[in-house]
Amino acid sequence: MVPVDATISRVRRDLIIAGLLRAGLLSGALACVLAGPMLGVHVDGMFLLMGIGAVWILLSVRSMQGTRLAADSPSLIAAGQYEQAEARIDTALRSFSLFRAGKLQSLHHLALLRHAQRRWRETALLCQALLAQKLGGLGRLPRATLLLMADSSLEMGDLAGAFAAMNRLYQYRLSLNEAQALQVLQLDYGSRVGAWEPMLANVGTKTQMSELMPPPNAARSQALLALAAWKLGHRPLARWLRRRAELLANPQEISADRPVLAEMFHEQWDD
Amino acid sequence: MRFAFAGALLGWGLAWYFGRENPQAQQAVSVLLSIGLAILVGMMGLAGVMGTRALAAERAQLEAIEDLIELRRWPEAAMMVQAFLLRPARTAAARAQAMLYLAMVLVRYHRFEESVTVYDYILREVPLDPGMSHAVQLGRAMALLREDNLLDADRAISELRRGSRGIESAGLALVELYRDVKTGHPAEAVEIFEKQLPVMRRMLGHRLADAWGLAARAYDLLGREPEARQAYANATVLAPQVELSRRYPELSPLAEKFVATAAPAEVA
Repeated sequence: MVPVDATISRVRRDLIIAGLLRAGLLSGALACVLAGPMLGVHVDGMFLLMGIGAVWILLSVRSMQGTRLAADSPSLIAAGQYEQAEARIDTALRSFSLFRAGKLQSLHHLALLRHAQRRWRETALLCQALLAQKLGGLGRLPRATLLLMADSSLEMGDLAGAFAAMNRLYQYRLSLNEAQALQVLQLDYGSRVGAWEPMLANVGTKTQMSELMPPPNAARSQALLALAAWKLGHRPLARWLRRRAELLANPQEISADRPVLAEMFHEQWDD
Repeated sequence: MRFAFAGALLGWGLAWYFGRENPQAQQAVSVLLSIGLAILVGMMGLAGVMGTRALAAERAQLEAIEDLIELRRWPEAAMMVQAFLLRPARTAAARAQAMLYLAMVLVRYHRFEESVTVYDYILREVPLDPGMSHAVQLGRAMALLREDNLLDADRAISELRRGSRGIESAGLALVELYRDVKTGHPAEAVEIFEKQLPVMRRMLGHRLADAWGLAARAYDLLGREPEARQAYANATVLAPQVELSRRYPELSPLAEKFVATAAPAEVA
């Protein structure tokens, strides 16, 4: 298994080396163009420039190979083939990459893998390391990392960490899938701090969003809404939401690691 | 870009040839070529960035269409798919994805024959991975059933069954359930429903309402009224009765016979 602490250190070191190398190559290319006319140095800049170009292309190709190697890992993780995914991510993280995006993407894939393996502390460490980097221009990566961070923090019982991660997500425009994931996290967080009223705010929209989720999340989201409705005395709504959750998934699966939901499903909700 | 590179190389060759006898000319040409090459490299970088941005914009457009379909905002989805397909796509995969969305929009507007044509085009022309191919074939089989093209639908379902090689598919179970209800084989439909319910529960999400609705119709056809009533209540807990009848016109008689579960006032 890839050791997380060592991997984070190695990625940080690789990012610095790659940054220095990029700066060196670009400075060299600039010097090749300007050295002759501006400084009067008699060197054949063209040859040097072509050499630098060749080195850049070679390193870019190697970087692309590493990135491509790790590109399949999310589908392997989704298929439950963790060992294969781990091997690919490890190779990608060990290979040299001239570009930050490839390395950070592979580190994110490792965080995804650890999350799927339910290794919450390691996931949180990887997410923290990623979020400490500048992630602008990397598309969905910052949002996906914050969602992973919030979920891992909740699973570890670190409510402050989860709240901070969810709060940071408000800086971004979320896709529909991300908004759905955030809704489940917010409901989970709300049930842990007993924030029943905020949980039930805009219940119509939240119910519609739940209908679009994959079965386990749809069931859990509506079970949490049912709990909030019951706590606030909205009995018919609570029964309706609970019935939906029970139809969508096995109550034992919905309430796994959520004692508050297990308790709800054991109770008989008769007036 | 290739011509620019060839031009730069030609210029460099000429500068070397003529500059052998005139060092001053060699110096001047060398400077000019260096600047030209630097501009060329800059333009290449710019072209790369612009290409990447265009690809990202195309991907974002497809994601927006997918979101609109998921949110059942069909008119907007239809307009966006049309706008997307009116221009050449940057990648074949993006075009195939847009075609798939087009087929889904056509089904929503009950234009089943046209959607089958689109599904056929995708299956014939686009290389698909097994999962995607299965999903497209499922969509096609469902459209054929809705079109009342039962012979082709049965053939499509048989192909799907052969292709699945024993792997569980909730989508296939739903299509078979619908075929049996539609062709008046309620006993077979009930058998499929009772056997495949755990799989459908694991995979279908709120589309499980379709399975409960079709099961209710099958129980009703068999005269098993208590089970039919319960199944219909379950179906209408998960989806509104109007939506179920729109998806499956065969369920309309149930609306007159049984009471649908009403959504509470807070979410109605």
